[in-house]
Amino acid sequence: MRISKRERRKIKGGYFWNILWIDLDREETRFLEFDEAFALNYIGGRGFGAKLLWDRLQKVNIDPLGPENLLVISPGPLAGLYLPAAGKTSFVSISPETGIYGDSSMGGSLGTELRQAGLDALAISGKAKTLSYLFIDNGEVKIISNEKLKGKGSLESEGIIKEDLRDEHIKVLTIGVAGENQVRFACVTSDWGRNAGRTGIGAVLGSKHLKAIAVRGSKDLPVFDLPRLRIASEASFRDLRQNKNFTFWQEQGLMSVVDYVNEAGVMPTFNFKEGVFEHTKKVNGYEMLSKYKIGDTACFACPMACGNVCLVKEGKYRGTVVEGPEYETACMFGPNLGVHNFGAILKANQLCDELGMDTISAGNLIGVLIEAQESGLLSEKDLDGLNFKWGVEEAILETVQRIAHRKGIGNILAEGSRGVMKQWPHLRPIISQVKGLEQSAYDARVAISMALGYGTSDIGAHHTRAWTIAKELEMGMDWPLEKKADLVIYHQTLRPLFDMLGVCRLPWIELGFDENQYAEFYSAVTGFETPLNQLLQRSMDLYDLTRAINMEFGISRKDDYPPERVFDMPMTEGPHAGKILKREDYEAILDIYYQKRDWTKEGRVKDAKIAMFNDPLVSE
Amino acid sequence: MTWKLAVVPERCSGCRICELVCSIQRFGVNNPKKSSIRVMVVYPHPIIRMPIVCRQCKVAKCMENCPTGAIVTKDGIYDIDEEKCISCQQCVISCPFGAIFLHEEMETPFKCNLCGGTPSCVDACPKNALLFLPEHVLGQAQRMASVLKYGHMKEVEYVEKGEKKVLRYADIEKGTTED
Repeated sequence: MRISKRERRKIKGGYFWNILWIDLDREETRFLEFDEAFALNYIGGRGFGAKLLWDRLQKVNIDPLGPENLLVISPGPLAGLYLPAAGKTSFVSISPETGIYGDSSMGGSLGTELRQAGLDALAISGKAKTLSYLFIDNGEVKIISNEKLKGKGSLESEGIIKEDLRDEHIKVLTIGVAGENQVRFACVTSDWGRNAGRTGIGAVLGSKHLKAIAVRGSKDLPVFDLPRLRIASEASFRDLRQNKNFTFWQEQGLMSVVDYVNEAGVMPTFNFKEGVFEHTKKVNGYEMLSKYKIGDTACFACPMACGNVCLVKEGKYRGTVVEGPEYETACMFGPNLGVHNFGAILKANQLCDELGMDTISAGNLIGVLIEAQESGLLSEKDLDGLNFKWGVEEAILETVQRIAHRKGIGNILAEGSRGVMKQWPHLRPIISQVKGLEQSAYDARVAISMALGYGTSDIGAHHTRAWTIAKELEMGMDWPLEKKADLVIYHQTLRPLFDMLGVCRLPWIELGFDENQYAEFYSAVTGFETPLNQLLQRSMDLYDLTRAINMEFGISRKDDYPPERVFDMPMTEGPHAGKILKREDYEAILDIYYQKRDWTKEGRVKDAKIAMFNDPLVSE
Repeated sequence: MTWKLAVVPERCSGCRICELVCSIQRFGVNNPKKSSIRVMVVYPHPIIRMPIVCRQCKVAKCMENCPTGAIVTKDGIYDIDEEKCISCQQCVISCPFGAIFLHEEMETPFKCNLCGGTPSCVDACPKNALLFLPEHVLGQAQRMASVLKYGHMKEVEYVEKGEKKVLRYADIEKGTTED
């Protein structure tokens, strides 16, 4: 019976047709088979995650750090295949940082390994009795208790587990001390320094007493028409390699963005007060290349190799080795804190990686402390007597440690911006956050589309959904609001689609790779001819679904505003000195945005649409 | 003339595109675990990424140790004859580089056969970490590097037809007191 049902399917490749559900409370594992409609409508990656989360929310109330929270790890149907940058895995859960829908994605090889183990997604609920790790060996699951991993760093744990299981090729996902201590912005790490940083996925794992997940898989990945995929991919790889910026990109990776952002005057400087940093030359890509970079690193199947391996060869941070920094880290620990010692940035990056926390949130919150000290909003006693000043590295590095171990002031910061605002309500105006997620490293004052992107992002102030700032600054400053809203919606539709498919967005955004190729890949892999606009429609629907999830937690128009200082604190330097965002403009663009999304004026998804998400497509 | 597949580990980024291409070319499946080239990553100490692939040794340990004579050679390229192979895996442990691989779905071990003469992985490598060279060229890059290191190399920037170029030269006087 089952075989004939499979033969009738429109989708003939791309999926193993099962989700592995691990219930840690009962130490029970089940394979759930899903309907074809589930694959068609939600595609994979964060799509699968959001739908599973929605189904669960209909049955139980979820506390982000409670055992009932669900963590879905899902790579997407294109992950692990021979096409550019097919190495992304999505992590979806109710976020401990924001208390609403949260997701984050990771590169590296973990997704490929999960797929090769024969899984389309992994869902974890419950809580282990003691600190444990999972070992998924080609779909077979073991829950291994190991108290020895307690207090070990992320990378250190990866090494220990690889040694335990005697396999260097195994892929291991770990959390650090921050994750164990449920720091609200703890991250998960794999492949010696690839992180899914945002929304506190590491804290979810920590709350489940799961230190790590080790995966080994060796199955052939299902592709309907491999020769067709190969032709399309080879053309794509060739296009990318012929791009004039290709070598430059390999050399600097995301660090090349530092100079660009500073020239554009939107560099987060001194806790987002300013938009240009006078010492940018000491923290940019060229500085890294000439003194620190010792190697390139790439995620699975990615020709662009944007990762940098850096080593500090002299000075007090001598011997610091880190896979990084990425642009965000360099800015949040550099200009945003007034630091212009690249070695110190690398040290902070390494500490955050090893302790297992998000560099964006950590850098952002420490910036808040420095500004609070400077403007007298917090006293020295509040700040544990640490010397918080712009550019003073010691206090910054010490605070990073204290956050992970939840000591003193670190214990307050570990609760994320929502916790800090609860403790010190008067700091609210100086904290750059949306929905409780700290703003990432692009200023939102100048480009209203970027402010809208932050405001309406389903996870909070992160640029992953809509990074429209470059386009608006380069060509769209005098566009009508309508067109800017369209730009945001297009980004919020296409970029999440990459996460659904399991591929990286950087070839498209940085090297101008044609997004229509992904429709070709999808069609070749699944055997179901699908044009890009149909895939985009799935992604549009998913945005409604994540909004619906957020509505369950009371999110509405009131939460869709960019950080406060965007409206009332103009920069004093740089090309955009004196500019602020006008509140009435933002209200206007928000109205347009809701209208285009077919949401109500209060920012609610209409009931008829929500009903669409209620079909049970996964049989438990 | 014999051609060799050479690896430049310093250039490797660990993207594993070579593994993908290999499994597709050789076995027609998208499965990096069925490739005859594997990227090994060592981190954090020391930091190395290195594709492991058969070097087509002239004195081949795999061939010497094979009890059934299943390692065959043609034009200097070694391969495993599946008919003769009894899958004792002696070759796998004999290879000093670990360049012969096993997979649970495969009856016999497998190794690089240079795709019969034009290895697919070389073109696919986006970092040019894999080179396919005539045997006598091997080592020339290292010889060149040591020559360049010998003379204290200096650089002059100049402009030709509006294009900025760099010329390198060794300074005869060296200008240092070390000798």
